[in-house]
Amino acid sequence: MSAPPRVIVCVGGGGVGKTSTSAALAIALARRGARALIVTIDPARRLAGAMGVALSDTATPIALEGARGTLTALMPDPRRSAATFVEILFADEPEARARILDNRLYQGLADAAAGVHEIVAMSLIAHASESGLYDVIVIDTAPSRNAMDFVTYPSRLTALLGGKVMTFFANFAANATANATASVPRRRGFLARIGDRFGGQVESLVAGVVGPNLLRDTASLFGELAIVRPRFVALTARASALLLGPAATYLLVSAPTAAARDDAVYLHERIKRIGQRPSAILMNLAAAQGEGDDWLDALEPAPDSDAPLDAVIWTLKAELTARRAATAAARDDLARRLPRLPVVSLPVVESPAPEEVVAVLSEVLDGQLAALGLDSLIA
Amino acid sequence: MLTDLARVIVVMGKGGVGKTTIAAALATLAAADGPAVLVEFGDGESGLRALAGVRTVEHITIRPDEAIARGSRGLFGSGLLARMALDNFAMRPLLRAAPAIRELAMLESVRQITAERPDARVIVDMPATGHGVAWLRTAGQGKAFLGSGPLFDLCDRVSRELVAPGRISPVIVTLPERLVLQETLELSHALAHDPGVAAAAIVVNRMPMTISPTILAAARLQAASSPAAARLHALLEARLQTSDEALAALASLAGHSVPVWRLALRPTDPTATDIAAALGALAEAA
Repeated sequence: MSAPPRVIVCVGGGGVGKTSTSAALAIALARRGARALIVTIDPARRLAGAMGVALSDTATPIALEGARGTLTALMPDPRRSAATFVEILFADEPEARARILDNRLYQGLADAAAGVHEIVAMSLIAHASESGLYDVIVIDTAPSRNAMDFVTYPSRLTALLGGKVMTFFANFAANATANATASVPRRRGFLARIGDRFGGQVESLVAGVVGPNLLRDTASLFGELAIVRPRFVALTARASALLLGPAATYLLVSAPTAAARDDAVYLHERIKRIGQRPSAILMNLAAAQGEGDDWLDALEPAPDSDAPLDAVIWTLKAELTARRAATAAARDDLARRLPRLPVVSLPVVESPAPEEVVAVLSEVLDGQLAALGLDSLIA
Repeated sequence: MLTDLARVIVVMGKGGVGKTTIAAALATLAAADGPAVLVEFGDGESGLRALAGVRTVEHITIRPDEAIARGSRGLFGSGLLARMALDNFAMRPLLRAAPAIRELAMLESVRQITAERPDARVIVDMPATGHGVAWLRTAGQGKAFLGSGPLFDLCDRVSRELVAPGRISPVIVTLPERLVLQETLELSHALAHDPGVAAAAIVVNRMPMTISPTILAAARLQAASSPAAARLHALLEARLQTSDEALAALASLAGHSVPVWRLALRPTDPTATDIAAALGALAEAA
């Protein structure tokens, strides 16, 4: 049996280029000989587009010329999550599967609830980690301050499906549905029957507010889910062990803006709260003296020139100066607020083609794998 | 600029495009003509930072727990009954696990805030793309399957009074980048289809300076003279291609007669006041 894979979780606010960075990291590791899997939780289609991969629940191998390892991408389609979730939990019960997919409460919840998609992504990750096909799994989380929800959401759902709570809902919905269709004398009987229990008042209160349709759907949905709770708990436990265990590495992706810095500090706190410690900050869209953009310093148009191209060069120089200042400020600020966390800078890559941006970033990251503590993954 | 828009403006777009700053800027602009409210969800830090001391805008943060408490007071007829019903061992985990309920409650809060301030412009800083559309759909979905009852009535009220054409105007913020623009087109179609409120305007943020073909030709002439000159030519070529692509994508939006407002790339993070001034200048020019 092969060792379980390392898991690298990339976390960051919106607009920091986290998607390109995650893809670039997976590519850099694959080039150095790792069997890498890149997974996106991001409901947007950015990475798929950038890598030419279709959204699917099955992993797609990506050809990487000259790589010593392999690269595979897994990008579950959020619009299919509701169905996938049920397929995973009710693999052997096609009838229950059909009933749940038909349940309008489930349809409504699954469509609006980002959580279902995140649980699906997590279970696909757990499955992939046990396949023995990968040395490392790079996870691109959703670009928001709630990125860590995908780790905590399953436990919230497990709490909901907990024995006591589950019984409460199943009973309460069944009783209240009977109540809603009952005649007046039976209604009194129903109230009397539940009145001797503490939950009685709550049941009738809630029943009056949500109406019979929701109650009927709640009753049947909870009835079905109760049966697979052990399966769900086991699935969650496997995924949690992976993401909360020692094989997980958390990387904060940031950028030289005030908002991205604050997001990084906030997410650092959230990661600590789940008992993990980020191992480095990837400062994307950065500029520093001696890195990347120095060629622009070599261009020196005459100060009194009024050629349009020279005006463009001055503007570019002003942009670069501002970006260098912002990068230095961001590094200072992060060094103060998150001391002892190494910062790896990645340049701005200006190209209309996303795949080219990813390619350039992966070359830069290739030289930084040791700084990120990932040298044990490469041959 | 804002006169063609509904009283409630929901600012949407993917994460990191500058949504919060633009929402704060729209509120700042609106405040010049009367009372204006900036509504945000979550911790309330980002909106305040973007407003950067603008005193004319009322800033309201909606937190999920408070929204549920407020919404349910109306549903159950009293705060006490609502607490009894929701603060129990079974309902608490349900509310924590079912995001649709939180989203609905937060929309209901926006509706209440709007109704309580009949003279004010309400600018809402929405969550990032996918979630934003899902939020706006919750009321319609709830209505479709509840059929009757107080919760149905709440969904119905939110659908009629808030998430309806003429009641809210979505403004989509985007960037001149291939993938972000693709998402903007998808978002724009999704909004028009369900919940059926079409985008009222598109804001293209951080437009880099225009590179004319003449300038590119001048750079090409010099490209062989030094490695730096070659890099310059490559950079300008990439920028021109990026902006051409962006303009083509935007033209397809303009085909649907959605106004497109372009904001220039700035060397440093702009504040709401900066953006409000730029949007004001755009309105003058138009």
